[in-house]
Amino acid sequence: MNVSERKTNGRNSNALLWIVLAGLAIIGGGFLISLLTPYLFPAQGSTQAQQVDNLFRFMLVIGGAIFLLVQGVLAFSVIRFRAKPGDVSDGAAIHGNTTLEFVWTAIPAVIVLVITIYAYQVWQTTRAVQPNEQVVGTVGARFAWSFSTNVTPDQFPAGVELSQLDPAVQADIEEDGYITITSPQLHTYVGQPVQLQMVTQDVLHSFWVPAMRVKQDLLPGRTTDIRFTPVEAGMYRIVCAELCGSGHGNMAGTLVTTDDNPVYQGAWLNVHADEAAFRREFLEPETLAVLFPPEDPAARGRQLLASGAYPCNTCHVLSDLGWTGNLGPSLDGVGTRTQRLSQTGQPDMEAYIRNSIRRPTDFLVPGFGPLMPQFNPEPDQPNYMPEDHLNAIVAYLLTQTE
Amino acid sequence: MATIIAPPIGAQAQAPRRLHISEYLRWSVDHKVIGVQYAVTSLFFFIVGGILAMLIRAELLTPQLDLVQNGQQYNTLFTMHGTVMIFLFIIPMWGAFGNYFVPLMLGAKDMAFPWLNALAFWMIPPAGILLLLGWLIGAPEAGWTSYPPLSSLFSGDGQTMWIMSLHLLGISSILGAINFIVTIKNMRPIGMGYFQMPLFVWAVLAQAITIVMATPFLAGALTLLLLDRIAGTAFFNPAGGGDVLLWQNIFWFYSHPAVYIMILPGFGVLSEVLSVHSRKPIFGYRAIALSSLAIALVGFTVWAHHMFVSLTPELRIPFMITSMIIAVPTGIKVFSWLGTLWGGKLHFTPAMLFALGFLSMFVIGGISGVMLAAVPFDVQVHDTYFVVSHLHFVLFGGSVFAVYAGIYHWFPKVTGRMLNDRLGQVHFVLTYLGFFFTFFPQHLLGMLGMPRRVSVYAPEFQGLNVVVSVAAFLLGISVLVLFYNILRSLREGRAAGPNPWRALTMEWTTTSPPPPHNFHGDPVPFDDPYGYGTEASAAYIDAIERRFGPSAPLSTERRNMPAAQGGD
Repeated sequence: MNVSERKTNGRNSNALLWIVLAGLAIIGGGFLISLLTPYLFPAQGSTQAQQVDNLFRFMLVIGGAIFLLVQGVLAFSVIRFRAKPGDVSDGAAIHGNTTLEFVWTAIPAVIVLVITIYAYQVWQTTRAVQPNEQVVGTVGARFAWSFSTNVTPDQFPAGVELSQLDPAVQADIEEDGYITITSPQLHTYVGQPVQLQMVTQDVLHSFWVPAMRVKQDLLPGRTTDIRFTPVEAGMYRIVCAELCGSGHGNMAGTLVTTDDNPVYQGAWLNVHADEAAFRREFLEPETLAVLFPPEDPAARGRQLLASGAYPCNTCHVLSDLGWTGNLGPSLDGVGTRTQRLSQTGQPDMEAYIRNSIRRPTDFLVPGFGPLMPQFNPEPDQPNYMPEDHLNAIVAYLLTQTE
Repeated sequence: MATIIAPPIGAQAQAPRRLHISEYLRWSVDHKVIGVQYAVTSLFFFIVGGILAMLIRAELLTPQLDLVQNGQQYNTLFTMHGTVMIFLFIIPMWGAFGNYFVPLMLGAKDMAFPWLNALAFWMIPPAGILLLLGWLIGAPEAGWTSYPPLSSLFSGDGQTMWIMSLHLLGISSILGAINFIVTIKNMRPIGMGYFQMPLFVWAVLAQAITIVMATPFLAGALTLLLLDRIAGTAFFNPAGGGDVLLWQNIFWFYSHPAVYIMILPGFGVLSEVLSVHSRKPIFGYRAIALSSLAIALVGFTVWAHHMFVSLTPELRIPFMITSMIIAVPTGIKVFSWLGTLWGGKLHFTPAMLFALGFLSMFVIGGISGVMLAAVPFDVQVHDTYFVVSHLHFVLFGGSVFAVYAGIYHWFPKVTGRMLNDRLGQVHFVLTYLGFFFTFFPQHLLGMLGMPRRVSVYAPEFQGLNVVVSVAAFLLGISVLVLFYNILRSLREGRAAGPNPWRALTMEWTTTSPPPPHNFHGDPVPFDDPYGYGTEASAAYIDAIERRFGPSAPLSTERRNMPAAQGGD
């Protein structure tokens, strides 16, 4: 009896020391694990990314410590308390310990409280309204993104006189004080706070730029918004994160560019080093293209399709514009592809192409399903395509000969 | 102190009764037959869902489409995988354990409503067939969450079959849950209050309450979706005055509690297995029992954390708070289980290995769960492989590990035969390694930028995806080991005897398998289902053996040992 008592007492006096040492070890381990944070994320592209990563690092210290605690106790128990072969006796009849149970209820409660408060602060800062935001209209459609910016006359390139412009363009500017430029890429520059106002033309989509650590669903019937401020110039992947159908994985767009050939294709967020570069490389050329639309309908059609105003690029191949979509029939050589014309009930290729955009399910090319949205002539309908756009696009597609 | 069954004079050990397959193919109101019917049906769908998972991982070996021809086919694979695993494997599998063991653990002859019990089961096979037949007419492709408008305006006619199938499964689930609540409320034996019930019964009670409160909301959402699809209504279509977020709210008001429907009985299994195979009382019985109820109730206030990228930004904060709070009762359970191990005599039976595996993997799911509750971080990883990883750490590292632990623990009771230990260990090692390397790297994929539900992905993610796929194939192989073990042991497994683990809960106080009305006479419960380490409990267990004959394997070792070292 005496021996075992002394043994127990000896163990108790050492217990505190062991608990303190083990506690320090697991907290130190948590810190070590948290050092991995920069390798677990893409490079930080925005001020939001810095905040979110700090929050994650904080949670990783705690989570890493808890992980080490639980796995450590498990491993210790497995080694220390394993039944010896042939030992069929029972363990000690301990049913609980109120103090211990209180402690392991209270400590996690305090931890989650602290995380909640910290996360709340990060949330408030990351979505705070910034001065001088660049407001960009964002449209998600199966399966492509397009971005539109309103350009007021004071932002026009130097030397543009309103009186030189085509009367239709002038009327457009007079009506609401700006022109809208549309692009399949989102352009901005370092330090410029961006606000996206996002709508979807069909199902749910979710706008995500992993490097910016921001994500927001696009909801039919609502306009949702998202804010971020880039801190690093570069090109970043925009991803659709909400299942939107067969082309969901392709909605990120594809990049076929290298550093020395800056032809950006697909849906990419392009960040310029500063505002001057942004104006020079993106804003002014795009604005001029809208202010002085080509006279030739085929050239205008090409410009419309290249601008990403319509999401055709995700599903169709069109080598002239670098499209690689694989869900619909190829548009290469569509202007002279007459072998099935008789089955379509249309008199000529122009009528057939026109009808394929206005009523795509009337005739399906064998092997392809009814995936294509119907583009409608009235502004209050979904997938609105004005008649003059349609004329220009059809004219352009007719030039695609084999 | 303890009441002990008086062994009737001349009672003999009974050989395991031979099980006829035909008994399980027809309508039966015996809860044990229904339990096995649930189990076999669930395991069949486990194979179906598992094959789908293998196809998914095979497709994801490369960044391009190769196995499937288009994204739509891929979408049907994971839609069916999720639906089958959740509604046709995990939930019915807990129906199997609950049906078989709740009456036995309560010393009852059957469930409160045996006929209703059979009815609830027989809705499952037609529901499963209905779902899978969807492939013939255009399989659903909107994911198991089936968000409109994709599910209402776009997905194939199989989506309508999906709705009908889930309707049937929901009714089955509700009927089963009502039966459990009534059985647990009314059929406890004299001397067993709520706080003398085994913790598995507590867990089933908490689960049943959750099902009865939550599943009607699924039925409501499904009905609205059905009407949108076939009757031209516009509940979820903004063009007709509807709202897409309405579906998300109602669906997750069911489907978040459904996570607890899928894990609570697993918590119960864990409490049984850890205590019995550590030969030690469960640590903090009341805390574990009541935390199940706390989880079930708080579980109803957290649903919108699934909508952190669609919900109005201001509304996300309250749901972050509740989602953080629910970590506390879950933590209490984990620490109580660790306390149970501490100072025990751990026997590394396959059931125990899977229970320990559960502890070490589930804690990762718990940690990532708290991280996901933090809105700014969730925004980064929402709808990515981080979430895929998290949910599998909870539902595979949690629920499936618990199902495996339960199979190894109770197979002897159900069949009268022991599963092979060596094969069980092989199964565990393959599962543990396969599971970890399948799902842990997915955290990284998600944080680095790979969304979920894509068949094509950026080339830089291929390395991690190959690791994941290879590990997943290993995980697939591990399941074959389990099935081989089950089939082999059914024919040639060692006879188990009444109580091979020397456990104190009442399912072990009868022969294995139990006779048609479960007990020989009226059994008397030991006053503490986890009262190990006392002489009274050793005497109670010895009395079972004297009455029903020897058990394998502990009792055979025991006879070669000096007197049991009970102590307090």
